[in-house]
Amino acid sequence: MPEIFIDNKRFEYEEPGKVLQFMLDNGLDLPFFCYHPSLSIPANCRQCIVKAGMPVFDREKGTFEVDENGDRVIRFFPKLMTACSLDLADGMVIHTHHTDELVKQAQADNLEFILINHPLDCPICDQAGECPLQILTYKYGPEGSRFEHKKVHKPKAIQLGPRVILDAERCINCTRCVRFTDEVSKTHQLTIISRGDKNYPMTANGQTFDDPYSLNTVDICPVGALTSADFRFRARVWEMNQTPSVDITNGKGSSTWLWTRDNLVLRVTPRFNEAVNDHWMPDAGRLAYRKFNENRVSRPHLRPDDSEQVRTSWNNAQLTVLEEIEKVDADDILIIGSPHASVEDNYSLRAFFSSKGVSKFYFVPHVVPGSGDGFLISDDQAPNTNGVRALEFEEINDKKLIKLIETGKPKLIVILDDDLIGRTSLTMDHLKQSWTVVMATNHSETTRAANLVIPVTTAAEHTASYVNVDGRIQRTVPAKETLYTNRRLNLEMSMGRLDHYGTKFDNWVSDSNRVDCIPAWEFLVRLDADRDTPEWVSSRQILDEIADSHPAFTGVTYERMDDENGIQLKLEQVSEAKTV
Amino acid sequence: MAETYTFDAKDLAEIKKLIEKYPEKQAAVLPVLWYAQDKFGHSDPSVQKLVSETLDVPEAHIRGVVSFYTQYYEKPIGRNVLDVCTCLSCHVSGGYDMLHYLEERLGIKAGETTPDGEFSLQSVECLGACGYAPMLQVTNDKFVNHLTREKIDKLLEDLRAGKEPEFESNPMPQHQKES
Repeated sequence: MPEIFIDNKRFEYEEPGKVLQFMLDNGLDLPFFCYHPSLSIPANCRQCIVKAGMPVFDREKGTFEVDENGDRVIRFFPKLMTACSLDLADGMVIHTHHTDELVKQAQADNLEFILINHPLDCPICDQAGECPLQILTYKYGPEGSRFEHKKVHKPKAIQLGPRVILDAERCINCTRCVRFTDEVSKTHQLTIISRGDKNYPMTANGQTFDDPYSLNTVDICPVGALTSADFRFRARVWEMNQTPSVDITNGKGSSTWLWTRDNLVLRVTPRFNEAVNDHWMPDAGRLAYRKFNENRVSRPHLRPDDSEQVRTSWNNAQLTVLEEIEKVDADDILIIGSPHASVEDNYSLRAFFSSKGVSKFYFVPHVVPGSGDGFLISDDQAPNTNGVRALEFEEINDKKLIKLIETGKPKLIVILDDDLIGRTSLTMDHLKQSWTVVMATNHSETTRAANLVIPVTTAAEHTASYVNVDGRIQRTVPAKETLYTNRRLNLEMSMGRLDHYGTKFDNWVSDSNRVDCIPAWEFLVRLDADRDTPEWVSSRQILDEIADSHPAFTGVTYERMDDENGIQLKLEQVSEAKTV
Repeated sequence: MAETYTFDAKDLAEIKKLIEKYPEKQAAVLPVLWYAQDKFGHSDPSVQKLVSETLDVPEAHIRGVVSFYTQYYEKPIGRNVLDVCTCLSCHVSGGYDMLHYLEERLGIKAGETTPDGEFSLQSVECLGACGYAPMLQVTNDKFVNHLTREKIDKLLEDLRAGKEPEFESNPMPQHQKES
């Protein structure tokens, strides 16, 4: 197998590749700014320079030349090489800053150049705390600046587009953002303008940077030059807790991080997942933080008679639902599952009402034809359409739904988290004929039409799984506390630096940000009051039960989803099972 | 920008010839921008847009190219651009004297354009003609060497009359001996 010697240690490699990526894969450190594994390699920051050489091969003897000690004679490249663009070669010898003074000095000098015109405004910069320039300067940089002249000034706080703000002075011209729009989003909206110390990224004259993936440039910017208009000055990076999750605004289900502070989700960023979204996510998915924080249903809302909805207790809500179920025949109950709700919630809805004798379960897919782009934005607007399908809910369109309501005259309608009135041609009048229960995360036109609204948790508050358009099941982890959860007791929830080291006044102080809601499955378990022990105490149990009973979900567990970044389901199995 | 710029059929035929010289359209950006600047006198955003549409190259890329090279004018500029060298060799041979004389004659400062749009005056760094200092360059083209006041007077007169300066051959001393 070909071998390479890095800092006098021998490594073997199989696939051809670049030295920098090979070192990163093997856990070795080397500073760099412009390199990004998913973009082309311009080698323009010059920060990953190393000393590289090849053994001298004696063609006549057919062997490598050796010196008096029996070691191979190495002929080094006359100048330092950028490791990001240097191909691995059999027998290659690399010296990094760990073993070579020249490399160490060169890296420090290069950083000094990069920092010459960089404003040292880290205390007010959003990037501080997650800034490669800050980190690498700390690790490899010079201790102080010798530059005594006035720095070059460039435009600051330019609104490049609706979501991205540019601070040109902070830019180190790594061109990651330009390459992103050229190679990944392919809108070609950015370029570097001007020359020398005056250059910075910019759009064409009069164009706005309205790329549907524009915020990814903020993520990959190695300095604070590009910042998010939404998140700007909202929080310091180290004050937030970071929790893995899934994008619930879109059928693609990009893997995400939720960043929380004081029980509010402050931003959503992509999480690397090779099988789904690589390093990227659409801008629309990042707006989900508003769905998690704003306009939430808190505490059950009941409409006695025809009056306004009033808040009521959980006990009353449970008893009222049970009463209404008792009142009517199983055939007069219409159950509508939701592609916006998780696999677990839909399953428990089906399980509970099956036990009450209901046999038909429906759902309305939320697909907007033509809204997708074939990349990370799908036509499907819901995160779990395939999951509901795999649980054998019958797929109907809104016309069929209206027909069901108009002809079937159901006396009780149960809608799982889905704004049917808001997104389909269903109207309030259709629901007025029946007693309607809506389990919802946010207030919507549908909740306003309901007789009873049960507040349920969002993807930011519960552990649950979602099946994306490609049939990949992924799960969320609670990031935000409800009134009934506590991140010190629920060991799945992440704790941040301030949780560990801050006083109680530093963080998570506003109880008003905790929503009075429970997972939908938990409400259904509570309804089943006849049992001595609850059917399920966690969504994990529900998923285990689904895995045992549904062939499509065989072998699916939360542990596997975590380890493998989601599991590809074989959804054909479902259709086969149907035909049998 | 009230004025809209277009290429006519003859221009497009010329541009097609330029494009065919290169394996990729992007490579033709520089010559096509030259062609456009020759025709319109500058490469302002509407010209950039025209070039971008003609070549099917992203507009942002064209802007990057135009702003990189000082020879492309990002704003409308005088018909004749006088780039007076004030770098070291020209400076010691009286480059600034020539610049100030031009400022006096045209009634404008360096970096400005005469109200009639005839001349723009710029003070530039070395143009690589130190042997013939002091010198200036006319609109990215001919060098006018060994400047004197008389020579400048004549140059302005010629340019006003629409006459381009002649190419001056200044052979190196060693080459003069040979001939």
